[in-house]
Amino acid sequence: MSTIPTVDPATPAPTPTPAPAAAARPRRPRPTPGKVLAWVAMALIVLVTLFPFYWMLRTALSTNASLYEDPAAVLPPEFSTGGFARVFGAQSQEEALAEGGAATSLVFWRYIVNSLIVATLVTVGQLLFCAMAAYAFARLRWPGRDLVFGIFLAGLMVPTIFTLLPNFVLIKELGLIDNVLGIALPTMFMTPFAIFFLRQFFLNIPREIEEAALLDGVSRVGIFFKVVLPMAAAPMATLGILTYMTAWNDYFWPLMVSYTDDSRVLTVALGVFRAQSPQTGTDWAGLMAATLVAALPMVVLFALFAKRIVNSIGFNGLK
Amino acid sequence: MSTTTRQIVLDPDAARNRRARERGPVTRRSARRRGLLLPLAFLAPAGLGYLVFYLWPTVRGIWLSFTSFNLLTPAEFVGLDNYRRLVQDPLFWDSLGITVWYVVLNIGLQTVLALIIALMMHQLTRSTFLRGVVLSPFMVSNVVAALVWLWILDTQFGVANQVLEWLGVGSIGFLTDEFWSIPTIAAINVWRHMGYTALLIFAGLQTLPDTVYEAARIDGAGETRIFFSITMPLLRPILALVLIMTIIGSFQVFDTVAVTTSGGPANSTNVLQLYIYDMAFGRFQFGYAAAMSVALLIVLGIITFIQFKLTRANKTDLD
Amino acid sequence: MNASHRRSRRLRGALAGLAAAALGLTGCASEGGEGVSSSSKTIDYWLWDTNQLPAYQRCADLFEESHPGLSVNITQYGWDDYWQLLTAGFIAERGPDVFTNHVSQYPQYVSLETVQPLDELEATAAVDEGEFQEGLSELWTGEGGRMYGMPKDWDTVAAFYNKDMVREAGLTEEDLATWDWNPRDGGGFEDVIARLTVDENGVRGDEPGFDKSKVEVYGLGLNEAGGSSFGQAQWSGFAAATGWRATDEPFWDTSYNFDDPRAQEALDWYFGLVDKGYMPAYGQFNQADGVAPQIASGSAAIAFDGSWSLRSYARSDLDLGTARYPTGPDGQAASMMNGLADSISRDADDPEAAAQWVAFMASPECQQAVARDGVVFPSRQDSTPLAAEAFAQMGLDPEPFTAPVEEDEVFYFPVTDHGADVRALAIPALEDIYANRAPASTLDRTNRAIDVLFETGEG
Repeated sequence: MSTIPTVDPATPAPTPTPAPAAAARPRRPRPTPGKVLAWVAMALIVLVTLFPFYWMLRTALSTNASLYEDPAAVLPPEFSTGGFARVFGAQSQEEALAEGGAATSLVFWRYIVNSLIVATLVTVGQLLFCAMAAYAFARLRWPGRDLVFGIFLAGLMVPTIFTLLPNFVLIKELGLIDNVLGIALPTMFMTPFAIFFLRQFFLNIPREIEEAALLDGVSRVGIFFKVVLPMAAAPMATLGILTYMTAWNDYFWPLMVSYTDDSRVLTVALGVFRAQSPQTGTDWAGLMAATLVAALPMVVLFALFAKRIVNSIGFNGLK
Repeated sequence: MSTTTRQIVLDPDAARNRRARERGPVTRRSARRRGLLLPLAFLAPAGLGYLVFYLWPTVRGIWLSFTSFNLLTPAEFVGLDNYRRLVQDPLFWDSLGITVWYVVLNIGLQTVLALIIALMMHQLTRSTFLRGVVLSPFMVSNVVAALVWLWILDTQFGVANQVLEWLGVGSIGFLTDEFWSIPTIAAINVWRHMGYTALLIFAGLQTLPDTVYEAARIDGAGETRIFFSITMPLLRPILALVLIMTIIGSFQVFDTVAVTTSGGPANSTNVLQLYIYDMAFGRFQFGYAAAMSVALLIVLGIITFIQFKLTRANKTDLD
Repeated sequence: MNASHRRSRRLRGALAGLAAAALGLTGCASEGGEGVSSSSKTIDYWLWDTNQLPAYQRCADLFEESHPGLSVNITQYGWDDYWQLLTAGFIAERGPDVFTNHVSQYPQYVSLETVQPLDELEATAAVDEGEFQEGLSELWTGEGGRMYGMPKDWDTVAAFYNKDMVREAGLTEEDLATWDWNPRDGGGFEDVIARLTVDENGVRGDEPGFDKSKVEVYGLGLNEAGGSSFGQAQWSGFAAATGWRATDEPFWDTSYNFDDPRAQEALDWYFGLVDKGYMPAYGQFNQADGVAPQIASGSAAIAFDGSWSLRSYARSDLDLGTARYPTGPDGQAASMMNGLADSISRDADDPEAAAQWVAFMASPECQQAVARDGVVFPSRQDSTPLAAEAFAQMGLDPEPFTAPVEEDEVFYFPVTDHGADVRALAIPALEDIYANRAPASTLDRTNRAIDVLFETGEG
């Protein structure tokens, strides 16, 4: 392997043991034109990916009037934290209107709490229940297993619009309209993708480990919770964070279910904030500030878990 | 962490052999009992969720497609009327065509970009920061992504058109021109999802057996050749799976269109889900909307079926 | 600490809900979780216009003072979410008790029996309809002669113009006050907007060498084709000046007149202004922002807009004037007239209390408060002068908005069944004319589709 000079030292690891960049430095190969091109492409992709975020920040820190006067300025054309002040309702009606926004009566901290509750309920419930189901599909032997799995998987194809109304009626009948639980419930139990994703992973856990535990007198349930789940920490974390993000960013369903501050989540509040824009034009500064506020908890979450998520996504040995 | 990861990648054949050996010296009856009770317990929560929030709404939706239903008064059975209307409704076929065009652009661009990013993450650098960066657009909701791009691409005040003007190209009605709006919406969603897709593909890349690569390199195969004759064939099952999921999602595009164009100009971005939604909740013709949803379900079913067939077919190549 | 207390309560509530859900799912619970209705009488009221929120909040305060035991909780949603949430609210029986209604929507709600006839409730039945501006109560009277909305305001459409631009163009305000129009050459109106259009080289629209591909200031601003509102704030005044009306009968007709050559001629002329460079092309300006920013940013010299926007224009630093639609071939300068009303939901907890609030919003006390705020013209005749005064104080002449009403040169927003379906057909058809410059004769097809709609209910 070491005889082939063009191979990046990080590439040939069959098992992903992330090679620290620093360790690779001494043997860094001569850059080929292809490599240079690849790095340029990479830089371009990073730029395109991050630019909108920069533009959000730049817009959020500007005054609305200046945005229209100098639309292409790289830095905020006229620096102001008014957008953020409006988001948190720290501006009086007159101030807000003068700056091209509307004074809001929105209590963003409260929506953050609601969003946290919903996303946590969905993530915890979905992870646990889907892991259980996935284990049953991957590791337990029972008649009709593959058929049932196929039926579950078919759920992937059901368009969301199809389930919207019946689910809404059901939530109403349960008396959970305008309740955070009503928002969380439909996705709290399972999604076909989560089961599929975790099943792939469980299929590849060596049976020896389970057999050893069985011999030690551990029950099947015990094996699942004490052996299998800890081993699946990485894919569970990946799935968890993706689920969390999806639940956090859902707009449509919470919009239908929530009516008051009791259950209003961030995305819906963002929509309300947007709708409060006066008719003289969109309050872009305020809107972008609100957007950043809404995305911030996700950024924090991501920073905390980034290593875990991206290091191993459980697609090993796809069946 | 790395130990667990390593254990996951085991020879699937070994697992299969072990499965055969697994039937231990237990009596048939207890085996059957264990074989049913345990899976049932593991499946119960997810199964309940599936029945209540997927299967039942789907059955109910199919029933409603044979009725005339205005959401607020009881549904009336009308037989095949809705389907007869569907066949004759030029707008339905138009919007199906628009949706397919969108899916082709969205999935085409997204898959190519995600593949490139995944390859670069695999071969160029393993920086967690980079992985975080490419996943970052997924941290904002569809609505927010659409809003940000709406602002960036605004004909009058958007920075993109300012730059184009400066370059002498002249401004483009990205979201207002019949020709540009669908490609633009497709690109916006590529921006949001490509990192996510890239990570899934990257996870697949990590599982490819390294021995094949080494052999190829010893034979003196170039990087391009290796990519097309080794990486792609090996990656095909994973790609197929990623494609199934992204295509199903792509067919249901809604938020982005609702925020940026609302289907205009002149219905040129009236994607299927938008048409269905407006029919159901804007025009109270839920029966007809349900019939169109069934059509969408069938389309998704066919695509999934074909792709699963392809996945299976390719699996033999892998082994 | 208050926060944490609330949170724990919420969590407990969530757990209780979960238990209820589990019971409900297994069918063992007799009352799966019917929301506990509070005994205090709070009237939930919805509206969509941010500008009006402060004024009606003041009304609510006044109402609570004079009606002990009743309180009003106002919620504002943006127009797009408003109707969706209202529908969802009806399904979930969690909507408002009272809500601001629009004529384009209410026939649907009447046929779905989600709004209550106001004549049957004591407080609203007692309101004297004769106090309202003419035509308003007809707008809100259903086919069966019952009233489904209590008129709260009215609106007309007129032109806003930039006085400095008019002066620089060598025109006088008198030119705009007396302009005329015809669908063949646009008459004096087209002369004015041609004159007001300026390209990047400073050449005016009526001068040789005018470059219509590089326009700096448009004579006439426009942001949307108007398909959702029969051109209310766009072309309705021009089409009406030919004698055309969207429906033969102003209320509850069963066919539309989009195939009328008179309307098509007017539309071809109107959107033809885009080809001449006097009016911005589709998509050049953000549609959702409305037309006001085009005036405020100096991109357009004149824009037609509704009286509901007076306050938005008043906020601009520019010196703005107002003018009526030009006098048309029929000798009138007619404007579309419309008005919002308050409706009571079928699900109102206490319909009589809701009716009291609705009646209060139509009372002199509330309407004068709204009038003084200068946001809309309230529905009562006696509050119109107050509103006019408030607008005048903001620096805008309200006369072009009130004159059509006083001189009876108004026509109404068409009220028919299938409003949402007609809109779904008309929006793309008019966008096609504006964005793709399709000939207006394509509306023949739209009209046929509308005919089918009224015959079969499908469209």
